[in-house]
Amino acid sequence: MEKPNLDNSMRRIQKDRDEMAFSEIFDFFAPKVNAYFIQNGIKFESSEELTQEVLSTVWVKSNLYDSNKSALSTWIFTIARNKKIDFFRKISKIDFKEEDIREFLYQDREVSLIEENEAKKQIERINNELDEQQKIMIKMNFFENKSHKKIADELEIPLGTVKSRIRHILTKMQEFLR
Amino acid sequence: MNGTVVKNQLIFDFASGILGPAKSLFASTYLQLNTKASKIGSTFENMLGENLIDNENIQPKSLKYTDCIESKNSKPSSNIKDPITSFFGNLNNLKWKQVYKGFKEYTASIDDKDELKLIKMDPGVSVPLHSHGGKEYILVLEGSFCDEYGEYSKGDIQINDQKIKHTPIASRDTGCICLSITEKDVIFYGKYGSFLNLFTFIKSFFKSK
Repeated sequence: MEKPNLDNSMRRIQKDRDEMAFSEIFDFFAPKVNAYFIQNGIKFESSEELTQEVLSTVWVKSNLYDSNKSALSTWIFTIARNKKIDFFRKISKIDFKEEDIREFLYQDREVSLIEENEAKKQIERINNELDEQQKIMIKMNFFENKSHKKIADELEIPLGTVKSRIRHILTKMQEFLR
Repeated sequence: MNGTVVKNQLIFDFASGILGPAKSLFASTYLQLNTKASKIGSTFENMLGENLIDNENIQPKSLKYTDCIESKNSKPSSNIKDPITSFFGNLNNLKWKQVYKGFKEYTASIDDKDELKLIKMDPGVSVPLHSHGGKEYILVLEGSFCDEYGEYSKGDIQINDQKIKHTPIASRDTGCICLSITEKDVIFYGKYGSFLNLFTFIKSFFKSK
Protein backbone atom coordinates (compact mmCIF):
# COMPACT_ATOMS: atom_id res chain seq x y z
CA MET A 1 0.00 0.00 0.00
CA GLU A 2 0.99 3.65 -0.21
CA LYS A 3 1.31 3.93 3.53
CA PRO A 4 5.10 3.93 3.90
CA ASN A 5 5.34 6.81 1.46
CA LEU A 6 2.76 8.74 3.40
CA ASP A 7 4.68 8.27 6.64
CA ASN A 8 7.61 9.73 4.81
CA SER A 9 5.45 12.62 3.56
CA MET A 10 4.37 13.27 7.11
CA ARG A 11 7.99 13.51 8.23
CA ARG A 12 8.69 16.00 5.46
CA ILE A 13 5.77 18.12 6.64
CA GLN A 14 6.96 17.99 10.22
CA LYS A 15 10.55 18.85 9.36
CA ASP A 16 10.33 21.22 6.41
CA ARG A 17 6.65 22.25 6.16
CA ASP A 18 6.86 20.61 2.74
CA GLU A 19 3.71 21.54 0.78
CA MET A 20 4.24 18.91 -1.91
CA ALA A 21 4.40 16.24 0.80
CA PHE A 22 1.14 17.58 2.16
CA SER A 23 -0.48 17.36 -1.28
CA GLU A 24 0.33 13.62 -1.31
CA ILE A 25 -1.41 13.11 2.00
CA PHE A 26 -4.30 15.25 0.81
CA ASP A 27 -4.71 13.28 -2.43
CA PHE A 28 -4.85 9.99 -0.60
CA PHE A 29 -6.95 10.89 2.43
CA ALA A 30 -9.28 13.75 1.38
CA PRO A 31 -11.60 11.55 -0.78
CA LYS A 32 -11.69 8.87 1.94
CA VAL A 33 -12.41 11.34 4.72
CA ASN A 34 -15.07 12.98 2.54
CA ALA A 35 -16.65 9.55 1.98
CA TYR A 36 -16.57 8.89 5.74
CA PHE A 37 -18.67 11.99 6.42
CA ILE A 38 -21.14 11.13 3.65
CA GLN A 39 -21.43 7.54 4.95
CA ASN A 40 -22.26 9.04 8.33
CA GLY A 41 -25.24 10.83 6.82
CA ILE A 42 -23.69 14.26 6.29
CA LYS A 43 -24.68 16.14 3.11
CA PHE A 44 -22.15 16.91 0.41
CA GLU A 45 -21.43 20.61 1.02
CA SER A 46 -20.96 20.02 4.74
CA SER A 47 -18.84 16.93 4.16
CA GLU A 48 -16.50 18.96 2.01
CA GLU A 49 -16.19 21.70 4.64
CA LEU A 50 -15.47 19.10 7.31
CA THR A 51 -12.91 17.41 5.06
CA GLN A 52 -11.18 20.76 4.71
CA GLU A 53 -11.12 21.16 8.49
CA VAL A 54 -9.66 17.68 8.97
CA LEU A 55 -6.87 18.15 6.44
CA SER A 56 -6.12 21.65 7.76
CA THR A 57 -5.70 20.13 11.21
CA VAL A 58 -3.25 17.59 9.78
CA TRP A 59 -1.24 20.46 8.32
CA VAL A 60 -1.43 22.84 11.29
CA LYS A 61 -0.99 20.25 14.04
CA SER A 62 1.43 17.92 12.26
CA ASN A 63 3.81 18.16 15.22
CA LEU A 64 1.26 16.33 17.39
CA TYR A 65 1.57 13.21 15.29
CA ASP A 66 3.99 10.59 16.59
CA SER A 67 4.58 7.68 14.22
CA ASN A 68 5.81 5.47 17.09
CA LYS A 69 2.53 5.82 18.91
CA SER A 70 -0.01 5.36 16.18
CA ALA A 71 -0.56 4.78 12.51
CA LEU A 72 -1.15 7.88 10.41
CA SER A 73 -4.55 6.53 9.38
CA THR A 74 -5.58 6.14 13.04
CA TRP A 75 -4.54 9.70 13.82
CA ILE A 76 -6.46 11.09 10.84
CA PHE A 77 -9.47 8.91 11.66
CA THR A 78 -9.63 10.35 15.19
CA ILE A 79 -9.47 13.91 13.85
CA ALA A 80 -12.33 13.16 11.43
CA ARG A 81 -14.36 11.47 14.16
CA ASN A 82 -13.95 14.46 16.46
CA LYS A 83 -15.13 16.81 13.71
CA LYS A 84 -18.13 14.57 13.19
CA ILE A 85 -19.05 14.68 16.90
CA ASP A 86 -18.75 18.44 16.81
CA PHE A 87 -20.88 18.69 13.67
CA PHE A 88 -23.75 16.63 15.11
CA ARG A 89 -23.52 18.49 18.41
CA LYS A 90 -23.98 21.78 16.61
CA ILE A 91 -26.95 20.73 14.49
CA SER A 92 -28.73 18.97 17.36
CA LYS A 93 -28.89 22.08 19.49
CA ILE A 94 -30.38 25.45 18.83
CA ASP A 95 -28.12 26.96 21.42
CA PHE A 96 -24.85 25.12 20.98
CA LYS A 97 -22.80 27.71 22.80
CA GLU A 98 -23.47 25.79 25.96
CA GLU A 99 -20.38 23.82 26.76
CA ASP A 100 -20.35 20.16 25.93
CA ILE A 101 -17.82 18.01 27.74
CA ARG A 102 -17.18 15.94 24.63
CA GLU A 103 -15.34 18.90 23.21
CA PHE A 104 -12.56 18.59 25.74
CA LEU A 105 -12.83 14.81 26.17
CA TYR A 106 -12.08 14.05 22.57
CA GLN A 107 -9.90 17.00 21.72
CA ASP A 108 -6.27 15.99 21.57
CA ARG A 109 -6.91 12.88 23.54
CA GLU A 110 -3.81 10.76 23.38
CA VAL A 111 -4.55 8.69 20.33
CA SER A 112 -3.01 5.40 21.20
CA LEU A 113 -1.76 3.83 24.38
CA ILE A 114 -0.24 0.88 22.60
CA GLU A 115 2.73 0.76 20.31
CA GLU A 116 2.03 0.93 16.62
CA ASN A 117 3.70 -2.51 16.17
CA GLU A 118 1.60 -4.11 18.87
CA ALA A 119 -1.54 -2.64 17.34
CA LYS A 120 -0.56 -4.03 13.94
CA LYS A 121 -0.11 -7.54 15.32
CA GLN A 122 -3.43 -7.42 17.11
CA ILE A 123 -5.29 -6.19 14.08
CA GLU A 124 -3.71 -8.96 12.06
CA ARG A 125 -4.89 -11.50 14.61
CA ILE A 126 -8.39 -10.05 14.65
CA ASN A 127 -8.53 -9.97 10.86
CA ASN A 128 -7.63 -13.67 10.81
CA GLU A 129 -10.44 -14.46 13.22
CA LEU A 130 -13.16 -12.51 11.45
CA ASP A 131 -14.70 -13.52 8.15
CA GLU A 132 -15.44 -11.04 5.36
CA GLN A 133 -19.03 -10.51 6.39
CA GLN A 134 -18.05 -9.71 9.98
CA LYS A 135 -15.46 -7.20 8.78
CA ILE A 136 -18.08 -5.50 6.65
CA MET A 137 -20.48 -5.46 9.60
CA ILE A 138 -17.87 -3.85 11.87
CA LYS A 139 -17.27 -1.19 9.26
CA MET A 140 -20.95 -0.51 8.67
CA ASN A 141 -21.81 -0.47 12.37
CA PHE A 142 -18.92 1.45 13.90
CA PHE A 143 -17.29 3.35 11.03
CA GLU A 144 -20.43 4.34 9.12
CA ASN A 145 -22.61 4.22 12.26
CA LYS A 146 -25.44 2.33 10.60
CA SER A 147 -28.12 0.70 12.72
CA HIS A 148 -28.39 -3.09 12.89
CA LYS A 149 -31.64 -2.81 10.95
CA LYS A 150 -30.01 -0.89 8.13
CA ILE A 151 -27.10 -3.33 7.98
CA ALA A 152 -29.59 -6.23 7.76
CA ASP A 153 -31.44 -4.48 4.90
CA GLU A 154 -28.30 -3.64 2.94
CA LEU A 155 -26.70 -7.07 3.31
CA GLU A 156 -30.08 -8.78 2.82
CA ILE A 157 -29.75 -11.01 5.86
CA PRO A 158 -32.03 -11.37 8.90
CA LEU A 159 -31.75 -8.77 11.66
CA GLY A 160 -31.17 -11.51 14.23
CA THR A 161 -28.09 -12.68 12.32
CA VAL A 162 -26.61 -9.17 12.33
CA LYS A 163 -27.21 -8.81 16.06
CA SER A 164 -25.76 -12.20 16.98
CA ARG A 165 -22.69 -11.82 14.72
CA ILE A 166 -21.81 -8.39 16.11
CA ARG A 167 -22.44 -9.69 19.61
CA HIS A 168 -20.04 -12.51 18.86
CA ILE A 169 -17.29 -10.03 17.93
CA LEU A 170 -17.88 -8.03 21.10
CA THR A 171 -17.69 -11.20 23.20
CA LYS A 172 -14.50 -12.44 21.54
CA MET A 173 -12.59 -9.15 21.69
CA GLN A 174 -10.76 -10.05 24.94
CA GLU A 175 -9.67 -13.39 23.49
CA PHE A 176 -8.42 -11.78 20.29
CA LEU A 177 -6.21 -9.45 22.27
CA ARG A 178 -4.49 -12.13 24.29
CA MET B 1 -26.77 -10.04 30.78
CA ASN B 2 -23.31 -10.58 29.38
CA GLY B 3 -21.12 -7.89 30.96
CA THR B 4 -18.31 -8.30 28.42
CA VAL B 5 -20.60 -7.44 25.53
CA VAL B 6 -21.92 -4.29 27.19
CA LYS B 7 -18.44 -3.14 28.24
CA ASN B 8 -16.97 -3.66 24.78
CA GLN B 9 -20.01 -2.05 23.20
CA LEU B 10 -19.33 1.01 25.36
CA ILE B 11 -15.67 1.10 24.27
CA PHE B 12 -16.52 0.63 20.57
CA ASP B 13 -19.26 3.26 20.70
CA PHE B 14 -16.86 5.70 22.35
CA ALA B 15 -14.25 5.10 19.65
CA SER B 16 -16.91 5.57 16.98
CA GLY B 17 -17.94 8.86 18.52
CA ILE B 18 -21.65 8.17 18.85
CA LEU B 19 -22.08 8.44 22.63
CA GLY B 20 -23.81 11.36 24.30
CA PRO B 21 -21.90 13.63 26.72
CA ALA B 22 -22.70 11.63 29.90
CA LYS B 23 -21.60 8.27 28.51
CA SER B 24 -18.58 9.85 26.81
CA LEU B 25 -17.32 11.12 30.16
CA PHE B 26 -18.03 7.74 31.71
CA ALA B 27 -16.28 5.81 28.92
CA SER B 28 -13.20 8.01 28.79
CA THR B 29 -12.79 7.68 32.57
CA TYR B 30 -13.11 3.91 32.21
CA LEU B 31 -10.39 3.89 29.54
CA GLN B 32 -8.18 6.05 31.73
CA LEU B 33 -8.50 3.79 34.81
CA ASN B 34 -8.58 0.36 33.18
CA THR B 35 -5.53 -0.79 31.21
CA LYS B 36 -7.29 -3.69 29.52
CA ALA B 37 -10.14 -1.48 28.39
CA SER B 38 -7.76 1.16 27.07
CA LYS B 39 -5.91 -1.48 25.03
CA ILE B 40 -9.16 -2.66 23.50
CA GLY B 41 -10.04 0.97 22.80
CA SER B 42 -6.69 1.66 21.11
CA THR B 43 -6.86 -1.50 19.04
CA PHE B 44 -10.35 -0.67 17.95
CA GLU B 45 -9.36 2.88 16.97
CA ASN B 46 -6.60 1.34 14.87
CA MET B 47 -9.17 -0.94 13.22
CA LEU B 48 -11.27 2.09 12.35
CA GLY B 49 -8.13 3.73 10.98
CA GLU B 50 -7.65 0.71 8.71
CA ASN B 51 -11.24 1.15 7.59
CA LEU B 52 -10.31 4.68 6.56
CA ILE B 53 -7.38 3.46 4.45
CA ASP B 54 -9.59 0.92 2.66
CA ASN B 55 -12.53 3.29 2.38
CA GLU B 56 -14.03 4.20 -0.97
CA ASN B 57 -13.10 7.53 -2.55
CA ILE B 58 -15.62 10.31 -2.97
CA GLN B 59 -13.72 13.24 -4.45
CA PRO B 60 -14.50 16.65 -2.98
CA LYS B 61 -15.76 18.85 -5.82
CA SER B 62 -13.96 22.09 -5.23
CA LEU B 63 -11.48 21.43 -2.46
CA LYS B 64 -7.75 21.62 -3.17
CA TYR B 65 -4.85 20.93 -0.88
CA THR B 66 -3.88 24.60 -0.96
CA ASP B 67 -7.24 25.44 0.69
CA CYS B 68 -6.13 23.43 3.69
CA ILE B 69 -2.77 25.11 3.99
CA GLU B 70 -4.29 28.59 3.95
CA SER B 71 -7.20 28.09 6.31
CA LYS B 72 -6.64 28.56 10.00
CA ASN B 73 -8.70 26.61 12.48
CA SER B 74 -6.23 25.90 15.21
CA LYS B 75 -7.56 25.80 18.73
CA PRO B 76 -5.15 25.60 21.62
CA SER B 77 -4.62 22.05 22.84
CA SER B 78 -5.92 21.21 26.25
CA ASN B 79 -4.66 17.64 26.64
CA ILE B 80 -6.96 16.29 29.32
CA LYS B 81 -5.28 13.66 31.45
CA ASP B 82 -7.98 13.27 34.05
CA PRO B 83 -11.54 13.76 32.78
CA ILE B 84 -13.16 13.47 36.24
CA THR B 85 -11.11 16.23 37.85
CA SER B 86 -11.45 18.42 34.77
CA PHE B 87 -15.21 18.11 34.90
CA PHE B 88 -16.02 17.95 38.62
CA GLY B 89 -12.97 19.68 40.11
CA ASN B 90 -11.81 18.46 43.50
CA LEU B 91 -14.33 15.83 44.64
CA ASN B 92 -13.93 16.90 48.26
CA ASN B 93 -15.28 20.33 47.45
CA LEU B 94 -18.51 19.13 45.83
CA LYS B 95 -21.87 19.75 47.45
CA TRP B 96 -22.72 16.12 48.12
CA LYS B 97 -26.31 15.28 48.89
CA GLN B 98 -26.79 12.79 51.71
CA VAL B 99 -29.33 10.11 50.74
CA TYR B 100 -28.96 8.30 54.06
CA LYS B 101 -26.22 7.95 56.65
CA GLY B 102 -22.93 7.00 54.98
CA PHE B 103 -24.36 7.23 51.44
CA LYS B 104 -23.99 10.45 49.47
CA GLU B 105 -24.49 11.32 45.83
CA TYR B 106 -23.84 14.20 43.46
CA THR B 107 -25.80 14.51 40.23
CA ALA B 108 -23.90 16.18 37.39
CA SER B 109 -25.69 18.95 35.56
CA ILE B 110 -25.23 17.71 32.07
CA ASP B 111 -27.55 18.09 29.11
CA ASP B 112 -28.20 14.48 28.16
CA LYS B 113 -30.86 11.80 28.27
CA ASP B 114 -28.64 9.65 30.50
CA GLU B 115 -28.15 10.68 34.10
CA LEU B 116 -24.59 10.95 35.43
CA LYS B 117 -23.95 10.71 39.16
CA LEU B 118 -21.11 10.37 41.61
CA ILE B 119 -21.76 8.04 44.55
CA LYS B 120 -19.80 8.06 47.78
CA MET B 121 -20.14 5.31 50.36
CA ASP B 122 -18.45 5.33 53.76
CA PRO B 123 -16.53 2.19 54.84
CA GLY B 124 -18.83 -0.77 55.51
CA VAL B 125 -22.00 1.00 54.38
CA SER B 126 -24.42 -1.08 52.34
CA VAL B 127 -27.26 -0.39 49.93
CA PRO B 128 -30.53 -2.22 50.67
CA LEU B 129 -31.55 -4.92 48.19
CA HIS B 130 -32.84 -3.23 45.06
CA SER B 131 -33.36 -3.65 41.35
CA HIS B 132 -33.07 -1.12 38.53
CA GLY B 133 -35.50 0.71 36.29
CA GLY B 134 -33.28 1.31 33.29
CA LYS B 135 -29.80 -0.01 32.67
CA GLU B 136 -27.23 1.23 35.16
CA TYR B 137 -23.43 1.41 34.77
CA ILE B 138 -21.18 1.71 37.82
CA LEU B 139 -17.46 2.50 37.59
CA VAL B 140 -15.27 2.43 40.72
CA LEU B 141 -13.08 5.56 40.98
CA GLU B 142 -11.67 5.02 44.47
CA GLY B 143 -11.82 2.21 47.01
CA SER B 144 -13.96 -0.86 46.35
CA PHE B 145 -17.31 -2.52 46.98
CA CYS B 146 -18.69 -6.02 46.75
CA ASP B 147 -22.05 -7.65 46.25
CA GLU B 148 -23.53 -11.08 45.50
CA TYR B 149 -21.74 -11.10 42.13
CA GLY B 150 -18.18 -10.27 43.17
CA GLU B 151 -15.74 -7.57 44.23
CA TYR B 152 -15.21 -4.38 42.28
CA SER B 153 -12.20 -2.10 42.69
CA LYS B 154 -10.75 0.96 40.99
CA GLY B 155 -11.30 0.78 37.23
CA ASP B 156 -13.89 -2.04 37.39
CA ILE B 157 -17.32 -1.65 35.85
CA GLN B 158 -20.55 -3.24 36.93
CA ILE B 159 -23.57 -3.21 34.67
CA ASN B 160 -27.05 -3.72 36.10
CA ASP B 161 -30.37 -4.12 34.41
CA GLN B 162 -33.93 -4.87 35.51
CA LYS B 163 -33.15 -8.52 36.14
CA ILE B 164 -30.43 -7.85 38.67
CA LYS B 165 -31.15 -7.57 42.36
CA HIS B 166 -28.21 -6.96 44.62
CA THR B 167 -26.92 -5.62 47.95
CA PRO B 168 -23.65 -3.71 47.42
CA ILE B 169 -21.41 -3.15 50.46
CA ALA B 170 -18.54 -0.64 50.48
CA SER B 171 -15.12 -1.91 51.56
CA ARG B 172 -14.65 -1.76 55.34
CA ASP B 173 -11.19 -0.24 54.92
CA THR B 174 -11.62 2.35 52.22
CA GLY B 175 -15.28 2.92 51.42
CA CYS B 176 -15.76 3.82 47.78
CA ILE B 177 -16.45 6.53 45.26
CA CYS B 178 -18.16 5.49 42.03
CA LEU B 179 -19.35 7.10 38.84
CA SER B 180 -22.75 5.96 37.66
CA ILE B 181 -24.87 6.27 34.55
CA THR B 182 -28.57 5.58 34.56
CA GLU B 183 -30.26 5.14 31.22
CA LYS B 184 -33.73 6.51 30.96
CA ASP B 185 -36.61 4.30 29.88
CA VAL B 186 -36.37 2.96 26.38
CA ILE B 187 -38.35 4.74 23.71
CA PHE B 188 -40.17 2.37 21.36
CA TYR B 189 -40.43 2.91 17.65
CA GLY B 190 -42.46 1.25 14.92
CA LYS B 191 -46.00 0.05 14.53
CA TYR B 192 -46.89 -0.39 18.19
CA GLY B 193 -44.49 2.30 19.39
CA SER B 194 -46.99 4.89 20.53
CA PHE B 195 -48.94 2.28 22.48
CA LEU B 196 -45.79 0.99 24.21
CA ASN B 197 -44.63 4.52 24.99
CA LEU B 198 -47.99 5.28 26.57
CA PHE B 199 -47.58 2.15 28.65
CA THR B 200 -44.09 3.24 29.76
CA PHE B 201 -45.42 6.68 30.57
CA ILE B 202 -48.22 5.31 32.74
CA LYS B 203 -45.79 2.95 34.44
CA SER B 204 -43.38 5.77 35.26
CA PHE B 205 -46.28 7.86 36.52
CA PHE B 206 -47.14 5.23 39.09
CA LYS B 207 -43.51 4.68 39.94
CA SER B 208 -42.99 8.30 40.84
CA LYS B 209 -46.03 8.33 43.15
